[in-house]
Amino acid sequence: MKKVRVLVACGAGIATSTVVMKKVEDLFARNDIPVEINQIKISEAASKQDGADMLISTTMLPTEYKIPAIKAMAFLTGIGTEKVENEIIEAAKSIQ
Amino acid sequence: MMTEATTLSAYVKEPLVFTQENYFSQDELFEQVTQKATNLGWVREDFLERIKKREATFPTGIQLVHYGAAIPHTDAECVQEEFVAIVTLQDPVVFQSMEDSNQEVKAQIIFVLGLNQPHAQLEMLQSLMGLLQNESLLAELLLATTSSELIEIIKQNNL
Repeated sequence: MKKVRVLVACGAGIATSTVVMKKVEDLFARNDIPVEINQIKISEAASKQDGADMLISTTMLPTEYKIPAIKAMAFLTGIGTEKVENEIIEAAKSIQ
Repeated sequence: MMTEATTLSAYVKEPLVFTQENYFSQDELFEQVTQKATNLGWVREDFLERIKKREATFPTGIQLVHYGAAIPHTDAECVQEEFVAIVTLQDPVVFQSMEDSNQEVKAQIIFVLGLNQPHAQLEMLQSLMGLLQNESLLAELLLATTSSELIEIIKQNNL
């Protein structure tokens, strides 16, 4: 299976993305999908999207991206986690 | 410098816990926290300006089932000594939602994160998120009338 390159972003690239990164790591491991995760500030997403397959963000998306962009605040609140997890796995499978 | 502090309670320090406060605005809340933190030498002088700007650009309001919360934070370089300031409010202050700035969150509890090591505090952040997902515990924190009472609740719950 192809390794999925994921950008995990939050506003400052310091707090919420750290938590989400761990959740995403666990999610891919549970689904046996190889992943390479890069923690970034959302302001870096536009310039880094060319080297990535998917963007997962805890903050609003300031612009449109060429790659699938998924909002993942559910990982912080615990509300609607399953839906976001499904979205991420779907996106990961679609790039295979 | 590496810190051995890992859990939330290691970051929550008495001078930066404010219980059952009343603020008219986010700005007033940020000013109060920053003033204390500055006096302690924990933040650089541009912390206030940066945290306001960061919150305006990338808001941090989090709508939970029964409560609103916010976790304002800013760039690592203006934090000299790490902390998590906790502010509980009698009347909520409006924050914008982290996910959608058009949505308002009436925040009753605010965690101002003074962090300067981007990847080192996973355990603390996870315990903070765990706390946000535990609304009965949040309710307990909101009832605390003194900072020592609030800190005691955090310690008792091994956060």
